[in-house]
Amino acid sequence: MEHGFLKQTLLFEFMEALRPFGELHGPTVSEQGVAGFAALPDLSALQLDYQRTQIPPKKYLIPFKEDILHYQDGSYRQVPANLSDIVLFGLHPCDLEGISYLDQVFLAERPDPNYRARRERLTLVGISCQLDDFCFCSGPWDTAPCDIFLRVQADGYQLTTSSAKGAQIAKVASHFFSEADPAPLPTLPHHSIAPQAPQLRFSDDPRWTVFANSCVSCGACSVCCPTCYCFDVREYPDLTGGCKRLREWDNCLFVTHGEVAGGNFRASRLERLRYRFLHKYCGFSPLQGVCSCVGCGRCKEVCPVDIDLRELTEDCRLNDRGLP
Amino acid sequence: MSKKNFALHTPFAATLLDRRMLSADTALFKVAPEASALKELSRFVPGQFIQLSVPGSGEIPISPADLPAKDGTLELCVRRVGQVTEHLHSAATGARLGIRGPFGTGFPIEEMRGRPVLLLAGGLGIAPLRSLLLHLLRHSLDYGEITLMYGAKQPKLMLFREELSALAAKKQLRLYLTVDFAPEDPTGNFACAVGLLPDLLKGFCFESDRSYAAICGPPALYRCLTAELQEAGVEPDRILLSLERRMRCGIGRCCHCAVGQKLCCTDGPVFRLSELQTIPEAL
Repeated sequence: MEHGFLKQTLLFEFMEALRPFGELHGPTVSEQGVAGFAALPDLSALQLDYQRTQIPPKKYLIPFKEDILHYQDGSYRQVPANLSDIVLFGLHPCDLEGISYLDQVFLAERPDPNYRARRERLTLVGISCQLDDFCFCSGPWDTAPCDIFLRVQADGYQLTTSSAKGAQIAKVASHFFSEADPAPLPTLPHHSIAPQAPQLRFSDDPRWTVFANSCVSCGACSVCCPTCYCFDVREYPDLTGGCKRLREWDNCLFVTHGEVAGGNFRASRLERLRYRFLHKYCGFSPLQGVCSCVGCGRCKEVCPVDIDLRELTEDCRLNDRGLP
Repeated sequence: MSKKNFALHTPFAATLLDRRMLSADTALFKVAPEASALKELSRFVPGQFIQLSVPGSGEIPISPADLPAKDGTLELCVRRVGQVTEHLHSAATGARLGIRGPFGTGFPIEEMRGRPVLLLAGGLGIAPLRSLLLHLLRHSLDYGEITLMYGAKQPKLMLFREELSALAAKKQLRLYLTVDFAPEDPTGNFACAVGLLPDLLKGFCFESDRSYAAICGPPALYRCLTAELQEAGVEPDRILLSLERRMRCGIGRCCHCAVGQKLCCTDGPVFRLSELQTIPEAL
């Protein structure tokens, strides 16, 4: 791990020096006023003082829709990846924790070739954040798993590298750094909302019905969640006798999600809402017991009927204690 | 990429060899995978599933109706019920298909050795259980008494009935057939009970303290049969159920098939009742 101090006035020059490591992407705001990660051909578009992007950085690892197989002349073949290196600049700790969770899902067992190809070409540069009313993480806000992390200071950034790739970048850009702040970086607990009680299964609490009655199954919470990754697989023929198999983001709040031939295991909104939160807070095999909520606050911000996760979990906890 | 990983993500090529209609909408397909798939397929355990690709249409999870033959040929019992199965049913002999797998857990055939086995199939649920049945019969000396109870809506929807009757005639298994509804049989050569499977199980004498029970059928059937079996004294960890979910990826990733916190594609599709009892939406 290497440390250095980057003066505020040198930020853009440092960022320009990142370009040889890949196409530079970072937080921007669209003409419609929506914050999102996008390419930065010109650094004037950078909006580093953002709160959260609408779509999380998972889009760099799991595209909304991607071809996974092509069928031609009697056999299926993997689609050759045509990817470029990307440096994703200015990620908040919650989003970095989100990517770290996706790594567990897609790389730990039976690694997914498409995810792996994209992940290997992605350099992550994190930055510390300021909480707002929507955030509900428990911190830390100034350290996270990434290649390079910038801790915002009064007149610049304290820079830490935590991977070989990060160290390589720091070496090339070393002339931008002054002496590191000697203060040691704090080691803080995992970044997520407060751990859930294992017995919290969200099963029988009557308050689920209250939440389900207001939920409109729009699926926005899931689209905007940095750790929601479930996907559907579809196949389409083309006119030359071949076909394409693609996967695209799916949404467990949609009624089609639990369909089987001749039935539906999650036909009701209540079952679907519970399915999502069971996955989010208790985890599915082999990540059982792993809470994947990083507290970024997106679901709360985008929910059209103001479902607040905290109310839900607080309510359930109250119920666990036998309170009305 | 290793050959092993290949089968996880990319289907092996396969050829449709034969189709034999078993009822108006259900057929037994013989599918020959390419030679390079044989090693993977030789690991097959009854109850596991494959992902069958019909090019241009998509992929579906199918639990084969028998273990792969020596040459790798698979028997797949498929009802015409959706887009992919519709295309499979209309495919010509020689059509190219694809296969990934085997995936999931099978029946615990080692643990079941020496024990009597009661198989309970409803409707199309006979398909995965046939693979278990044929395995047990091939190794009948290793297992106790084998009983099959099979219920269908009506006689003409009863799959494999000649085959099963022939096996029963050779005294290889105790066979009980039942239908919900029996119109006049003009041939007069098909005898079976009329009634529901749980009624057939009621009053059935078997070594419930040693037996394993394997169930496959529609969800409503599981609820009735598991209650009957437990009442008869079969422990929940010896009641095996093959569950159906919409398995898209087959390798524990797409998250369509969760049963509680378990995934049907990797922790199942064969579960013990004891694993499912605390999961409200499992059955």
